[in-house]
Amino acid sequence: MTADSTLATRPESGGTGRDSVRIIRIFLPILVPAVLIAAWWFSTVNSTSPYFPPLATILDRFLELWVVGDAKEELVPSLRNLGAGFLIGSVAGVALGMLMWRITIVRQAVSPIVYFLYVLPAPALLPAMIAIFGIGDMRQVALIAFGSIWPALFNTLDGMRGVDSVKHDAAAAMGVGRNRTTLSVDLPGASPQIAAGLRASLQVSLILMVISEMVAATHGIGFFILYSQTTFAIVNMWTGIMMLAIVGVVLNFAFIGIERRILQWHYRSRRIGGEA
Amino acid sequence: MSAFTAAARRALPSVVAIVALLAAWQVATASGYLSSAQFPTMTSTVSALAQELATPDLWGAVGMTLSGWAAGLLIGSVLAIVVGTVLGLNVTAFRAVSPVIEAFKAIPAVAILPLVILILGSTLPMKIFLVSFSVFWPMVVQVVYGVRSIDPVANDTARALGVGGIRKFFVVTIPSASPYIATGLRVGSATALILAVVAELVGGAGGIGRVILLGQNAGSVFYPTMYAYIILSGLLGMVLTGAFILAERRIMHWHESQRGNV
Repeated sequence: MTADSTLATRPESGGTGRDSVRIIRIFLPILVPAVLIAAWWFSTVNSTSPYFPPLATILDRFLELWVVGDAKEELVPSLRNLGAGFLIGSVAGVALGMLMWRITIVRQAVSPIVYFLYVLPAPALLPAMIAIFGIGDMRQVALIAFGSIWPALFNTLDGMRGVDSVKHDAAAAMGVGRNRTTLSVDLPGASPQIAAGLRASLQVSLILMVISEMVAATHGIGFFILYSQTTFAIVNMWTGIMMLAIVGVVLNFAFIGIERRILQWHYRSRRIGGEA
Repeated sequence: MSAFTAAARRALPSVVAIVALLAAWQVATASGYLSSAQFPTMTSTVSALAQELATPDLWGAVGMTLSGWAAGLLIGSVLAIVVGTVLGLNVTAFRAVSPVIEAFKAIPAVAILPLVILILGSTLPMKIFLVSFSVFWPMVVQVVYGVRSIDPVANDTARALGVGGIRKFFVVTIPSASPYIATGLRVGSATALILAVVAELVGGAGGIGRVILLGQNAGSVFYPTMYAYIILSGLLGMVLTGAFILAERRIMHWHESQRGNV
């Protein structure tokens, strides 16, 4: 994250050709994706391979199924489960992380257990979730919530550990109690790292959403992709992959947008601090 | 002796917590509060694990999961180090491809799983492809940041000494970027294990994930074995992550990020 700032500090080359440089710079980020899409288009234009149908066919079907048709209804249960699971998991993770930070004995006691659950590959729990909750939405929400707790928890703990101890002394000198210090000093201080943790949680959630729809499920976008594959509807499968890619990218950039907005105070104060 | 007692005292709360958790599991299942159709007893799970540990089946499954993990992690990260170094040294190239990298990083790798199964089948290459695909994208970004963090003085010194090309890559670039690469590998290892299990669970390739799914399909008689394998996957995660943290400390002891406050 810190390396981002080095991008902007490159000196402008002055004099002639400056406008063309600027134009290239603006179009550069669009250029490569455009070239790749064009390459995909032209390499498959006469394709007879069953696995790689022409891009034009995929796009037509995409429009037909996901824009005009009913396939977009598959997104509703997927995103609902994702939202519920991610929300429960990340709130629980941050709360548990704060509790572990605040009460030393809790941290010492549960650290090995929490660490074990963190490194356990969450998809392995899917069959257990089916055994416990049956094959409804409940086990999907439970699995997503379970998986998204740990990155949130560990980043909360790490972030709070990194808060400058001078701030604690200052809070103590001002007569602020320890509980309030955790809430009004540690929590904001740790928030950039908590945000990074939540982003990791969101990525895990998305994976768990998809795979929980690929095993013993009857709806959702993961189900759509796998069902299309098993019925050899390859073009449909491609449209599902495309839709899932769009969901992943949109969620990621929405998260970054919200994060920038909420943490604006942090970036601003860091910038001022850096200049002083 | 006193060092030993101090360590024992520090470990005491966690030992108590683990024992309490196992006891609570046993009480909840043996009393029938949790039905055996959902959750086996702790003792039956532990004995199933002990029993399985003695069989070649278990080690075969661990071997298959680990080979997918290792090969995928290796291929994904070597490619990422090469591509990331090139992009880290060339600002324009990085600006040009970074939208593509960011997009692929955001796409869940499991999206392409059905396609990969279709082309490669339920095989080890399928698992390796899926793992390396998921390891590659975050690792590239990590390597780019690592290469950019190189001290300009080290760069200039290398140039003054006439060190360039491949030699500079191994003597200057890689060591300077190594903390970033190490972090990337540790995170990548966890991702690789997750995707290896997914390739087995959904994709049907051999390994721990498939045994877990088969256990669930076989019905509640096999639940102790299924939970034993779930615990095994967690133990595997612990060993792998632990090994990476240890190796990082060992190999990177010279780097300032590991030296602590002197």
